[in-house]
Amino acid sequence: MALDDLIGRIKTACEKATPLRIRGAGSKDFYGGLLAGELLDVSAYRGVVAYEPSELFITAKCATPLAEIEELLAARGQMLAFEPPHFARATVGGCVASGLAGPRRQQAGGVRDFVLGVKLIDGRGQALDFGGQVMKNVAGYDVSRLVAGSMGTLGLIAEVTLKVLPRPQAEKTLAFDCDEATAIVKLNQWGGQPVPVSASFWHAGRLSLRLSGAFAAVEAASRKLGGEAVVNAENLWNSVREQTHSVFAAPLLWRLALPSATPPLPLKGLSAIEWGGAQRWYAGDLPDIRAVAAGLGGHAVLYRAAESQRCREGAFAPLTPGMLALHRRIKKTFDPKGILNPGRLYAEL
Amino acid sequence: MTSSEPVFKTSRQLLAERLKGTLPARCLLVDDEELRPYECDGLTAYRQLPLAVCLPENEAQVIDILRTCHQLGVPVVARGAGTGLSGGAMPHAEGVVLSLARFNRILRVDPKARLAVVQPGVRNLAVSEAAAPHGLYYAPDPSSQIACTLGGNVAENSGGVHCLKYGLTVHNVLRLRVVSVEGEVFEIGSEAPDSPGYDLLALMIGSEGMLGIVTEVTVKLVPRPELARVVMASFDEVAKAGEAVAAIIAAGIIPAGLEMMDKAATAAVEPYVKAGYDLAAAAILLCESDGTPEEVGEEIARVTEVLSAAGARELRVSQTEAERLRFWAGRKAAFPAVGRITPDYYCMDGTIPRKRLAEMLAAIVGMEEKYGLRCANVFHAGDGNLHPLIMYDAAIAGEWQRAESFGAEILELSVALGGSITGEHGVGIEKIAQMCVQYKTPELQTFHRLKTAFDERGLLNPGKAVPSLHRCAEYGRMHVHQGAIKFPELDRF
Amino acid sequence: MDTRLADFVRDTPDGQEAAAILRACVHCGFCTATCPTYQLLGDELDGPRGRIYLIKQVLEGHPVSEKTRLHLDRCLTCRACETTCPSGVNYVHLLDIGRRLVDEKLPRPLAQSVLRGLLRATLPRPAIFAPAVKLGSLLRPFLPASLADKLPPESSPATRLRPPGGRHRRRMLGLAGCVQTALAPNINAAAARLLDRLGIEFFEERNAGCCGALRFHLNDLAAAKKDMCRNIDAWWPHLEAGAEAIVVTASGCAVQVRDYGRLLADDAAYADKAAKISALCRDPSDVLLAESEALSALLGAIAAKEKPRKVAFHSPCTLQHGLQIRGVIEGLLRAAGYELTPVSDAHLCCGSAGTYSLLQPALSQRLRQNKLAALHDGLPTVIATANIGCLSHLQAGSVLPVQHWIELLDEALS
Repeated sequence: MALDDLIGRIKTACEKATPLRIRGAGSKDFYGGLLAGELLDVSAYRGVVAYEPSELFITAKCATPLAEIEELLAARGQMLAFEPPHFARATVGGCVASGLAGPRRQQAGGVRDFVLGVKLIDGRGQALDFGGQVMKNVAGYDVSRLVAGSMGTLGLIAEVTLKVLPRPQAEKTLAFDCDEATAIVKLNQWGGQPVPVSASFWHAGRLSLRLSGAFAAVEAASRKLGGEAVVNAENLWNSVREQTHSVFAAPLLWRLALPSATPPLPLKGLSAIEWGGAQRWYAGDLPDIRAVAAGLGGHAVLYRAAESQRCREGAFAPLTPGMLALHRRIKKTFDPKGILNPGRLYAEL
Repeated sequence: MTSSEPVFKTSRQLLAERLKGTLPARCLLVDDEELRPYECDGLTAYRQLPLAVCLPENEAQVIDILRTCHQLGVPVVARGAGTGLSGGAMPHAEGVVLSLARFNRILRVDPKARLAVVQPGVRNLAVSEAAAPHGLYYAPDPSSQIACTLGGNVAENSGGVHCLKYGLTVHNVLRLRVVSVEGEVFEIGSEAPDSPGYDLLALMIGSEGMLGIVTEVTVKLVPRPELARVVMASFDEVAKAGEAVAAIIAAGIIPAGLEMMDKAATAAVEPYVKAGYDLAAAAILLCESDGTPEEVGEEIARVTEVLSAAGARELRVSQTEAERLRFWAGRKAAFPAVGRITPDYYCMDGTIPRKRLAEMLAAIVGMEEKYGLRCANVFHAGDGNLHPLIMYDAAIAGEWQRAESFGAEILELSVALGGSITGEHGVGIEKIAQMCVQYKTPELQTFHRLKTAFDERGLLNPGKAVPSLHRCAEYGRMHVHQGAIKFPELDRF
Repeated sequence: MDTRLADFVRDTPDGQEAAAILRACVHCGFCTATCPTYQLLGDELDGPRGRIYLIKQVLEGHPVSEKTRLHLDRCLTCRACETTCPSGVNYVHLLDIGRRLVDEKLPRPLAQSVLRGLLRATLPRPAIFAPAVKLGSLLRPFLPASLADKLPPESSPATRLRPPGGRHRRRMLGLAGCVQTALAPNINAAAARLLDRLGIEFFEERNAGCCGALRFHLNDLAAAKKDMCRNIDAWWPHLEAGAEAIVVTASGCAVQVRDYGRLLADDAAYADKAAKISALCRDPSDVLLAESEALSALLGAIAAKEKPRKVAFHSPCTLQHGLQIRGVIEGLLRAAGYELTPVSDAHLCCGSAGTYSLLQPALSQRLRQNKLAALHDGLPTVIATANIGCLSHLQAGSVLPVQHWIELLDEALS
């Protein structure tokens, strides 16, 4: 598949005002709002374009599987530091479009923090290059980061350049038995200290903490923090990253992003806490959850639910009228006919 | 919409009358005598008297000023400390300078949540000073951090000597409070790790005052490392130093800072800072390691090994915190210190892939000869961000024009080497023509459309950051690239 | 910075000096960060870079009004900007030139001239100032706050230190000064006791007087030169007779004496002597540092106190930015058994700044408020400083005693 094929498809759709539903591997079909429009299958547009370990970047076409990228990186002792979930077959384009990051988010940053550049095909069918392959670039507006998490509504991310980092020399996982409130307090205390915490997961009275860094740093921190050492912790972190852990199995699952130090919420159904307290998972029908999260300075995503419910209630927290109007103007900038993934982020976009 | 420069025209008298209605006298300057010191920022080669300068003291006044200007169709140029090096805060002849210098209060330092809420006129270093009692600091540290403000940092997406490991402004800002050109207040981002909708925080940061006026910034604070030490390595050849940089990264080390200075730069700085730089070396590298004492020891050993293998002539490791700070003080004062050996300098800000450093440096040597001007080189080597300082004397006819062409050639070579015309200083007015080299017409059109989504009439900082297509056509006409004329689709006149 | 001087000034010595200073400035703006008035007022025009620009305008022949003068007058001349400046801009010299040019082009309104004339005439004269202080104490209830503030809590007898009496072979001259003699005569007395313990006789010459700084900063260069030449004449015989140094216990005066050489460089009769005197001018801490062996022996004999007295040290601008002495006195006080409390924003001026507290009372008081808050923060029992101006200015706003650090050293040894 050539870039021109993709451009051609979108140009035609633009002319005919045909809505398109962009799909790489479909690993995140469960996520977000409506899946509407003619299928634009990009799965054949794949392959690593450039990888330069000493320059700390990799450029790949959108449908390149994350697994393939990570394998390549691992061979050179590097990684995608935001630990995106692979959901078995996820592609790099979908990874950036959805903006989903894994356990290491709390230490390394989110997807957008690692996007250096994109080749975007906008709703007019124009191929646009933003950013590049260097670490710092402030020429023009930062469109590459804007598209991270935009759910394909601003353009087809045809190619993306991501910053990569060396894998830590050592990792060690510690476990502590504690309740929710204690876990939140501890996580925030550690967050304020120079200890290399790279991931955290609390579930059912047990807090797991992963340390990553130089051998000496991990050992020193482990002595300082105490707890009990966990063997085969890779399995645990993998199950959290890939959401194969039982806490993610609920048919109705909410993801809350909150200020990390927020004390326990007045809500039932907490299944897990991640990211040092900043990401919390709730299961079940919770009519107040959006209001509670907003009141605390965060927001709630209806992460997993029947499509009908996601479309009815909105997968993502509603925007204020002013903000929504601004979003529509931005959407129009890139996609004047509104043909790209309509309704996938918000019904109005 | 975007093909030509917009025209604005309002009389100073009318503007002053309207602004006097909402601002106390101490917040409004309208006489040339008082306006002239505002005619430029840190880039003095570009100057322009504005119609007026407003010095609001609260957000309500900012809203009033924006509403008034919006009604009258008067351009608004935001300004912080005026330390910018790309002329981003240079006034508009028909516009108002909106100074946020009086927004200088730190509203909240929350050690538990590791964040600070500050007004945009707060100095970068003041945030770290306020956080210090809690063992925390604000990571991005531009060299002008003693004076530059957070608002300016947001506008330019500023970096600094530690951003290789700790990120740029965009990685360290959680939330902005922004007033739109119409006077509407938006909260963008939050204290949570992400927010619903598009990542407007990424869009706002680095937008050079073109999309809105920031009235509050929430920044992330990070724990101060237990220990930090710097290795200073001397090299006989600049190229070797460049290769050493790539070797460190290739060895899987991400130092807290990795900086290079050439001989001309160390010679300028040493008399002022007495940092102890090796003045005989063709170039020095400063490589910082931070973390726990064990970690630092381990990393310093690895760095030393790589640097020796790369041909370092001499290695010195800072023995005390005072010595470490001295090593950095020289680097941070490097730009103005060059002012000691030349009346004026022109600071460039290109980024290139690290592996092309040596190539770029060799090219600069050639350009020094071509333009008959000296150049001192100061680099954020770790992220391939160059700051060549072209020395000239504005009092000598023709020198500035030569300096400008010298700079343009460096920037265009940066693009050709796979890099960017600006790593952290912004495009401003200075690199507006090079934007035509960096981007093609469709990308520039996208930028203009995005701007319109926020500021329909183009009142915020007009003429900066994103060139009109007309300007690019003009530039392309002067400047035929690789045998092909640029922007052939545009009319030329 | 690109500057095109106007004809009226291009070929004058002032013009040439100003042009050289302006060329050094690259407009980086670092100076605004440590400028006390910029921090308070947040206007480019009230920071060093803006003032440099205002002066540049005058030099380039642009019309000048009271607006420019206001911003130049608001400068404290604390020189914090010079310490911060990486380009080595000699700001204060440029400011002196700028202020002079503005006053020439635009004579001051009568009321201002009268006040400035009065200050020039009275402050530098102990014979008038001392009785005036006494009279002022009686009239305190009727004086404006900015002036009443300046009076000492109770007038102490103004005594002069004895002329050389031959107690020690080594001798050093002290500057009796003008204001300090009346307000705090104990400072030089304490210095004399301390130096006496180190085997140095410290004495004052009665024919010397004001160092010239007051008149110089009120733009009366001619009268200032008179002050300086009178002091040189008074001191010269003692220096010829073997006095080693001129020890100035007020850092504000020390900065001026250090500048005699430059200010009198064009005076054929005085240039050489002035340069010599500038070179021999010492802050007391310089002397103590040079005598550190003998001093250590003295300080070593002090019994360690269980509860050391807590001192907040205010480093005068003239000390840290003018004389560029930083951290030395703090070390001496610690060595003498005092505990130093942390003081934030130690680089900022207290608002005294010579006659500034009288001429710009509103700003001066805001600066004092901030300074005292920073000094009181660490709960000290005494505030120490090194300049009589700061001392009396701070004392007027604080319930804690404010003393010269040399008095504290003297107390520790008595």
